[in-house]
Formats: sequence, C-alpha cells, structure tokens
Amino acid sequence: MSITETHGYKVVTDWLSSKGYSPFAFQAETWEHIFQHHSGLVNAPTGCGKTFSVFLGAVIQFINQHPETFRSSKKNGLQLLWVTPLRALAKDIGRAMEEAIHEIGISWQVGIRNGDTDTSERQKQKRNMPEVLIITPESLHLLLAQKGYPDTFKSLSLIVIDEWHELMGGKRGILVELALSRLVALSKQQGTQLSIWGISATIGNLEQALEVLLYASKKKGYIIKANIHKPIEVLSVIPDEIEKYPWAGHLGIKLAEKIVPIIEQSNTTLIFINTRGMSETWYQTLLNIAPQLAGAIALHHGSIEQELRLWVEDALHTQKLKAVVCTASLDLGVDFRPVDTVIQVGSPKGVARFLQRAGRSGHRPGEVSKIYFLPTHSLELVEAAALKKAIGETAIETREPLLLCFDVLLQYLCTLAISEGFKAIEMFEEIKTTHCFSEMNEQEWQEVLLHITQGGTALQQYDEYRKVEIENGMYKIKSRRIAMRHRMHIGTIVSDAMLKVKLMNGKFIGVIEEWFISRLELGTVFTLAGRNLELIGIKEMTVTVKPSSSKKSIVPSWMGGRMPLTANLGLMLRKTLDVALTKKAKEPELKALTPLFELQETLSHIPKENELLIEHIETKDGFHLFVYPFEGRLVHEAMAALLAWRISRKIPITFSFVMNDYGFELLSDQPIPVDDSNVYELFSIENLMNDITQSVNSVEMAKRKFRDIAVIGGLIFQGYPGEQKKARHLQSSASLLFKVFSDYEPDNLLLRQAYQEVFDQQMEEVRLRNALSRILKSKIVIQFPQQLTPFCFPIKVDSMRENMSSEQLEDRVRKMQQQLQ
Amino acid sequence: MTAPILHQLLDQHFWLSPERVLFWEQEKILIVSDLHFGKTGHFRKSGIAVPQSVYKEDLQRLFAQISFFKAEQLLIVGDLFHSIVNKEMDFFLKWRKDISQLPFLLIKGNHDILSSNWYQEASIEVKNEYKIHQFIFIHDPNESVTTTEDGSFIFSGHLHPGIIVRGLGKQSLRFPCFYFTEKQAILPAFSHFSGLALIEPKKKDQVYAIVNQSILQIQ
Repeated sequence: MSITETHGYKVVTDWLSSKGYSPFAFQAETWEHIFQHHSGLVNAPTGCGKTFSVFLGAVIQFINQHPETFRSSKKNGLQLLWVTPLRALAKDIGRAMEEAIHEIGISWQVGIRNGDTDTSERQKQKRNMPEVLIITPESLHLLLAQKGYPDTFKSLSLIVIDEWHELMGGKRGILVELALSRLVALSKQQGTQLSIWGISATIGNLEQALEVLLYASKKKGYIIKANIHKPIEVLSVIPDEIEKYPWAGHLGIKLAEKIVPIIEQSNTTLIFINTRGMSETWYQTLLNIAPQLAGAIALHHGSIEQELRLWVEDALHTQKLKAVVCTASLDLGVDFRPVDTVIQVGSPKGVARFLQRAGRSGHRPGEVSKIYFLPTHSLELVEAAALKKAIGETAIETREPLLLCFDVLLQYLCTLAISEGFKAIEMFEEIKTTHCFSEMNEQEWQEVLLHITQGGTALQQYDEYRKVEIENGMYKIKSRRIAMRHRMHIGTIVSDAMLKVKLMNGKFIGVIEEWFISRLELGTVFTLAGRNLELIGIKEMTVTVKPSSSKKSIVPSWMGGRMPLTANLGLMLRKTLDVALTKKAKEPELKALTPLFELQETLSHIPKENELLIEHIETKDGFHLFVYPFEGRLVHEAMAALLAWRISRKIPITFSFVMNDYGFELLSDQPIPVDDSNVYELFSIENLMNDITQSVNSVEMAKRKFRDIAVIGGLIFQGYPGEQKKARHLQSSASLLFKVFSDYEPDNLLLRQAYQEVFDQQMEEVRLRNALSRILKSKIVIQFPQQLTPFCFPIKVDSMRENMSSEQLEDRVRKMQQQLQ
Repeated sequence: MTAPILHQLLDQHFWLSPERVLFWEQEKILIVSDLHFGKTGHFRKSGIAVPQSVYKEDLQRLFAQISFFKAEQLLIVGDLFHSIVNKEMDFFLKWRKDISQLPFLLIKGNHDILSSNWYQEASIEVKNEYKIHQFIFIHDPNESVTTTEDGSFIFSGHLHPGIIVRGLGKQSLRFPCFYFTEKQAILPAFSHFSGLALIEPKKKDQVYAIVNQSILQIQ
C-alpha cells in the first residue's frame, strides 16, 4: 500500500490544503519512507520545511496506527524524540509542532527538555511522558541516568537528530551515537520498530553522515534532498586605499562607515563578527558613527544575558531592528524572515560556514541571498575572491566524525551505572555498534572498565578508590554523592570558568571569563553587552560593576571561537593567488590589491599554486623564517613544530613561533639554517609521527587538549552549591593533573587520548600529511627580503606563540636570563 | 639531584634542595611545607582517579632528604595533610614508625584539620606558630600576629610560590621556587601534586627556581 492511500496522509494533506499549502516533493518522499519504517537523512537548508518533513511523517504514522482514536487518544507515551543541538531552537520548533497538532486535531503533548527545564516540569515528564520530546544530547543522557529509563522509551517509534551536520564532527555527536546505540538495543529487546532520521545542511560527506547516524541500527538509509536552489551574491567592501602592510584588526573598524549605507538600504542586516570581543567593539563603533541607528541596532553573542538575547531574537522576528551585530551565536537556528542582508566581517574560515551565513538572508523562494564580505586586513580580500570561486564550484567542506573518544565513553558508562547498571560483555558488544567505537579492541575496553572500577595504579591496601562497583556482574554506581556529582557533569561542552557580571542593584548583565577579569584592577572600565562598566569588586562567582561614562575601556577577549581555515578554502586561496597580477585576476578584490601584490612581488615573491614561499628576514628581534602553506592555523602549528624540531636536531637552537591561517613564522636569536640544499628534507613525510611526537610542542598541545578530556572524563570536579569547603579540597587544575599523569601514569587512557586528539584534530594528521606531500611535489621558493613583506605582516601581528627547544632546559633558562639583562 | 645551594641569613646556613626542602645546618632541622599528604586518596575516594604513586614518591623523597641531611628534627610549615582522614594516612603512619626517633613539629596550616588526638598518636607536635632565635615559622604569613620590626625573620608556606621566566620572543616557563624577601622566606610546596601561584618579586628579593633537578638563582 502506498502512503497516499492512508487515512493519516489524507488528514495531514487536508490540513495543509486548508491552509493553502501542498507538501514539497521532499516532504512527501520523507513521509513515504517513514511509512515504510525506513531510516535516513533529510538534506535541506533551514527555513524550507525540514521540520515538517519528518514531524508530519510521525503524525501520519500515528494516525494510521490509531485510525479511530487518534483525535481522542491521550497519554500515548513518547512517540517522537527530537534531538537538537540548540536550546534556543527547541521553543520555536515546539511552538510550530503544537500549532500543527492543534489544527490537525490530535491530542499530543509537546515537551521540551534541556538545561533550562525546571525540576517540576521534569517530574511531570517522568510521570507522564509527552508524545513529542524535544531534547539536547546532554539531556538525553540525563534521561538515561534515570532509574527505569527503558520504560520511558517503550512506545518510541521515531528519533530525529536535527542539525546532524553540526553535531557529527564533535563530541556531542558521540553522545548522540552512544544514546542511539542504547535506544536501538532497547527497541530490539522490546521488539518495537524504531526509525532514525537525521536532518542536515549540505556538507561534503552526506553519505558518511548517514552511515554514522545509522551505524548502530545497521539499517539501510535513504538520503532525501530538498533541492531548493538559492542563488547567492557575494559583494566585497573594498577600502578606498589599500594598505600595503596589512595589520590585522583595525582595518575592519576603519571600514565601518562603509556599512552604514548598506544597513540603511536594507530591511534588516545581520553583521557576523568572528569573536565576541570584536563584536563588542563593532557595536560601539556603529553607535558612534551612526547615532541615528541607536535603538535600531543590537548585539547578540554567547556571553550576553539570555533574556536580552531572546529579546533580540524576538525583535528580529518582528522586524523591530535594523541591524544586529552577532557572532556564531546566530549561525544556527530558526530563520528571521525580515533579514535580507548579511555582512561577514573577517574571514569566515570555511566555505560551508560562509554559505550558511549567507543563507540567513533572503528566505523567500526566488529571493537572492546577499552577503557582503568586509576584510579585517587587506590581504583577506583574497579570501573573498577565493570564496566566490568555491561557491561557483560548490566545494563544501566535509565533517569528519571523531573516533575512540574514551573520555565520552567513560562518562557514558558512569551515566548508565547510575541508573540501571550494565553488564560488561553485553555492553562491549553494544558500544562497538557505534561508529565511534567500532574499532575499539578488547584491551582498550578492559582499560576503560579498570579506570572506572579501580582508577589506575594504586597502593592496594591504602586505596579507597570508589566510583563504579561490580555487583553480581552488574556495573553500578552506588554512592549517591558520586552519582549526584556525575549528573552535574554530564555533557561534553567545556567552558572556562565563567563569572556572572551584575550591577550593584543585582541586575544581571552577562558572563565573563575568570582569567580576563582576574587581571583587571578595581576601577578599570571594560565593555560587556555593549555597555561600559567599571569594576567594583569580585566576590565568589560574581563580578559587581557600575555603569561608566568613561571613554576608555578594555574590550574583553574570550577564549575559543578561533576556527582554523579549512583545507578547502586554503586550496581556493592558493588558486586565487596563482592569478594575482595576471590578466586573469578579474575579481574586483584582486584588482584592488594590486599595490600590495606589487610590493610583495618586488620585495619577495607571490607563490603560484604549485609553489611554497619561504622568506628569510632579519630584524632587531632576531632571525625570522616565514613559510606560507595556506593550510590553516592548526596545520601550521604542527608544521612549525616539525620544522623547528628537525632544524634543532642539526644544531642547538631555540625558536619561538607564531602562525595564522596563511602561514607561520619561526623566530630565533641565531640564523636559521634553511636553504635549497636541505629544505625538501625538512618537509619530508618520513618519520613524520615520530618527529612530531618528539617535539616539545606536542606536550603543550596535549596539555591544552587534556583540559576538556579531564572534565568530560570526570577528573575535574567543578563543585556544586552546599559543599563548598570540601569541594575546594577536590579541586585541581587540568595542567596539574596533566603533569601528575605524565610523571606518574604515562600510559593513562585519558592522557593517551589527549595526544591522539592532538594528532587527529589539532594537527589534523591526515591533512598535515597531505599538505607535506603537496609541498614536496611543489617548487619551494626561498627569498631573502631586505625588510618585512606584506604577506608576513599579519603573521607577525598574530600573537599566539609556541615554544620549542632542543637545548637543555637549564641552559635555556640561563640564556633567557642573559637576554633579559 | 644536583647539590643543594647555600643561602645565608643572619649568619645562619640554610641549604636549598631541588627536592623542595630547606635544611638549617646549625640547628640540623629539615624544613618543609605544603606536603598535602592524603590528597590523592581524598580525590580517589570521590571517584577521581589520580595516580597514588605521587603520594608514595613524595614520602620516599622526604625520607631520602631526611637521611641525606642527617636531620635531627622535621619542621613542617603547614599543610602536612590535605583533608579529612582516609586510608592513605595509614601508609603515612607506617612510614612514620620507621623514623619514630625523629621529632616532627607541625605548624598548623589551613588544610590541617585532623583531630589533635590524631597528631598525638602520630607523635607530631602541633603549634600555630613557632619561634627559634630570631626566626618565626608560620603557615600563612598574612596571619602572623608577630611583627618583624624587632629584626626577626619569618618562614612560611601556604602560597605554593612559582616564578615565570621570560625570554625573547615571548618565551616563558614556570617553575616552583624559594622566595626570599628582606624579612621573609616562602617555601615551595613539597608535594608534586600541587599547583603554583606566580609571585612578582621586587628588585631586592631573591628567588631560587627549581628547574628539573637543580636550583637556579633567578635574582
């Protein structure tokens, strides 16, 4: 039987036509698959009915299963589990669903469950599950931490993972994979039918996204494409005068005046800024240069009070705002219909992200998505040209799923140990049904179990390690205190210690990172949520401030949010530079950059696509070596470490290094021995991993990675109210734990994972290897410019510096001292 | 380990060891601070799997230092134990028995919250503050009731002092250190399971960094 003959289909399509709609082809197709109990992936951009493609499928199925009683049948138990990465999305999706349910006339309840859901609501849900539950991956794990959770999912027939492309590449995706493996196993035990559907924007590896999603269910999946074509127009804001030496940071602001007319001519404009700190600066600047916009522009980023953020979002819907300065905080989520223009300030770092942001404007069918690119330094204009090229060739990045993240597994096993407990052999098989842990071997599994039951090496009779206990083969957490602590730490999003910022009357303004505020003296004025605030005091976790009229203020910098350039965009950049200063350089961006290119060519060289440029420059700071692979910050970091290590094996030499997305710099107080005779050898892929592991730098990188791992894996306890004093005795920093493990338990599972993550993610080993292979095949051009070149300037400015040395530590300290004298 | 370094104070000889202890030659007293014994056990009891070998090695290191200097007294400037009693303390007691002849004097630190009976049974004498000649020993220098105006000198711990060493090109490294000001000395934390609080020494101050296995005078 076809779905179109069913009662449910008729009820739903009748409802749609009563509103003057008919289903899109991809929606009808999805319904058909859900009707057949298939699983799959819907590939559709936001704002074109992706929610209804799956949701109405579930409604049709329910009506078909209860043809007589669907209007009256209440308390049917959980039917549809809707997993979304964003809390903010839950409300809007829930509202849309409720409206449909009401109009169609079925008596379903829609529930929302996330960190904002209060306890009484949770209790109510526990007693009586709504038919539809919209949930975050973290809250889903909290459900699995409840005793009797299998009952909750008894009647579940459809799980939807919304924004799967966002979740898949990170550890939250593993939370989803693990939860799916549990729910699939439950449904097999209970003999029920369970369909799994993902919803994803376009990424380079949709097939793989589907495979990972359905890995545990072992089902054949279907990809359904919405095929809604949206034309995109990219326009660059080109400065009147091109700086030949591009300093990062200030040029963007200098161009602010140029966007005022764009804002004024548009209905509503979203201005995307890459960092929260810069967004504060931009908001202030726009108010200063265009006072007429006061009241019509707003600021939106992750550190602003939620109420204010919600207000901004509402005001966007209702067209009360002319412009919003925002960060990635508005990347995802529901569409704001009035938005017809988007401005991207600075590099978007990737094609997919740029397209996503462009897609936030011009939603109505037939409308063009218009995006302006505003460079923060002149060299970034090349990126605009490269992005246009990438869009023309639809070269969109892939999202790689993570493998063998033991921190998440440790956490998950403890979660299950709180509720129903698990048996080792069964659980091993079940965990291996996930894509993430499919390659886990028996030994690794034993180590994981040992970690949660015995806690690594110990002094036997003097040890009281207590976490998971084994009782008749059942792994369980019995201590209520440990269970409570674990529940508070479920999740994989690790943020820096954040302090609340409040006015003296208690009004909450936002949150700020501890390390930033701890450096300020009392009386200092800083900017948050677009206001100048004077620091009055810090007590416990609250910063007290008062409004200030001071002109001078410090803009906080927030950690994180520095995405590296993707390999895709890097390639496009190299291709774009290839035509610089030739007749093929037709793009206005490239034409505008002619003076800069000419200076670069005079002093040094502009690399062709098949070339790697290296510059030796001597300044009063020392001897610089600039290398330009255009592979993104992370790969450059690894490559710089590798080069530094390989050079330092020849002669004792200490480097410091800096990198940005275009290249990196090695700086030393002595000449750096890189020339035509040895340069290919330095980029060799032989002994690559060995050399990388040897470099001091991998320790530093692993230390940074370890922080998140330690929190996710349950080693860092952040404390909770009511246990303050004792909590202090349980606190330690990740860097201290890293040191202790490195010295005393070097084979620790989580420590090894930190290094693995450095190789896989931080250095992007595969990408590093590819980049080196490409460089080996290309022509390496070594130049000796007499002064700093336009290309090296942005790198010099970037401040992230790593250390690297082959000298004896003690010698090095003495040397550093001498330098200081 | 490289040889200890001599630091003279008011004609007295103090030897600084890279094992984070101080030996007072004339009085034959070994001075240590912030040992935080039982910290790993405290963590482990709460389900945080820190390797216990840190603790074991800390005890061994202390024993080695006592033998090396042939100390006749152990003076602990606070935070001998990390928190409430746990099984790791039994290991300490066993260790204590092996050197039962050696007097232990503990200047109470903010972490030393065990009952006085407990210390008594472990034959550890406990004081809040201790003065010998012109030298005063107290855990937290900010809580001292005695002033140094009479020319006395304060030894303390509590802070876990660390020094950051900077070089060209924004290179920086941080190490635990002994920190001497005109009237005061702050000892490094003995425990290897302890963090650092960076100090900002003034010009006249003396700072000895503990770099791997040796002591380097930074200023």
